[in-house]
Amino acid sequence: METVSKDIVLEALKKVQDPEIHRDIVSLGMVKNLKVAGGKVAFTVELTTPACPLREKIHDDCKKALAGLSGVTALDISFGAQVRGSKSGAGQTDLLPTVKNVVLVAAGKGGVGKSTVAANLAVALKMHGASTGLLDADIYGPSIPIIMGVKAEPKKIAVDGGFKLEPPVAHGLPVMSIGFFLEPDQAVIWRGPMLGKALHQLMGDVHWGELDYLVVDMPPGTGDVQITFSQQLKVSGALLVATPQDVALADVVRAKTMFDKVMIPILGIVENMSYFICDGCGKSHEIFSRGGAERAAERFKIPFLGEIPITSSIREGGDKGMPILVRDPKSEISKVFLDIASKLAGQLSVASETARMAQSLKIISS
Amino acid sequence: MASALPVEINHMKEKGVVRVTWDDGHAGDYPRDYLRGYCPCALCQGHGGEVKFIDVEDARLAEIGAVGNYAIQFTWEDGHSTGIYTFDYLRSLCPCPQCRDSKDE
Repeated sequence: METVSKDIVLEALKKVQDPEIHRDIVSLGMVKNLKVAGGKVAFTVELTTPACPLREKIHDDCKKALAGLSGVTALDISFGAQVRGSKSGAGQTDLLPTVKNVVLVAAGKGGVGKSTVAANLAVALKMHGASTGLLDADIYGPSIPIIMGVKAEPKKIAVDGGFKLEPPVAHGLPVMSIGFFLEPDQAVIWRGPMLGKALHQLMGDVHWGELDYLVVDMPPGTGDVQITFSQQLKVSGALLVATPQDVALADVVRAKTMFDKVMIPILGIVENMSYFICDGCGKSHEIFSRGGAERAAERFKIPFLGEIPITSSIREGGDKGMPILVRDPKSEISKVFLDIASKLAGQLSVASETARMAQSLKIISS
Repeated sequence: MASALPVEINHMKEKGVVRVTWDDGHAGDYPRDYLRGYCPCALCQGHGGEVKFIDVEDARLAEIGAVGNYAIQFTWEDGHSTGIYTFDYLRSLCPCPQCRDSKDE
């Protein structure tokens, strides 16, 4: 009987592509702990995110690739995950060195449900098994403390000879918001430079710990906070939230134009309040029309990541500080968020490859 | 997205130029006075209208830094540093003969 070797197995596995990055899993370094003993082949495929939507496909493709090899009597494929970093930005010092991916959840206008989407997606990434944090960058209207049901003044702790703020943990996620430092009715009335400084502190002065993903709930629009992020921070990309009606989509286009201008990649777009399923008649009502965001995604060649319905359960979850994913993880709505989170994680894996390939800018003086 | 990205920015002090090399292979030498003169900031250009050349004598470059993913910031010895030159803008300024000819057409 022929004997298989590690080299033969690796050669065969080169035919298996990561379905999102479109490169083979061997050259991407995803094949780990390869053991070949007699005819027994065992290895671990290290996925680029635990939220990988394509685990099954990769498993099947590996099986198929090795099926042709003679001498393989037993096959044991296990899966692990090592989230890769995708932050870019040549100019700035990294305020979040222990965070691998920073995702800005943004929209051109207010009221589309950015905070709700940001909070639920952060919880969904966590439920997929990735260590995830949530930052409320909406200085003027911080709503994350209410949505996540956490109100605690962050504690000062000693870190590396200095002091840092320890973020409160809500539903397993470290959370930071300017809201923690304000009285409930107090307003933040600041101009740009103060905002920039506050944002720096909410990131750099916080002991985030090792995180795979930090989801940032952005304020609406294309103003000071957005400029601070684009000029001074390393981020992975932006997720745009839109409601379906034309007038809202016009603002999505503005948000896209802004991110293009500052060259922050757009990871995808989601449509919120996409449809309403009546609990009386079971019929789906398209209150704000439907599919507008998907058409915009097609037009601008942005990945479309999904539609989130408008339901009272999402709203109740937000008002009670208990996101729907925590309260009812098996519900249809929770599945929608888990699915969008997988796709987002997939886009971040793609971004990590692009970030690595992008040439770094050399600035020299001679 | 910008069509081309800079890969190297070299302040060649002796020659008094900043050489910008792009990822499409293009390169151009920007004289310091020229770069300073086309500073895009609102202090130099005001708000709105065509970008004009501001004559600053003996402009000396102190520092060059990248801004986010999209721009370059030049800091001059007189302390002026508010100009943020986006990659597209910087490319449009390219003073090499080839780029100049194509602008004249």
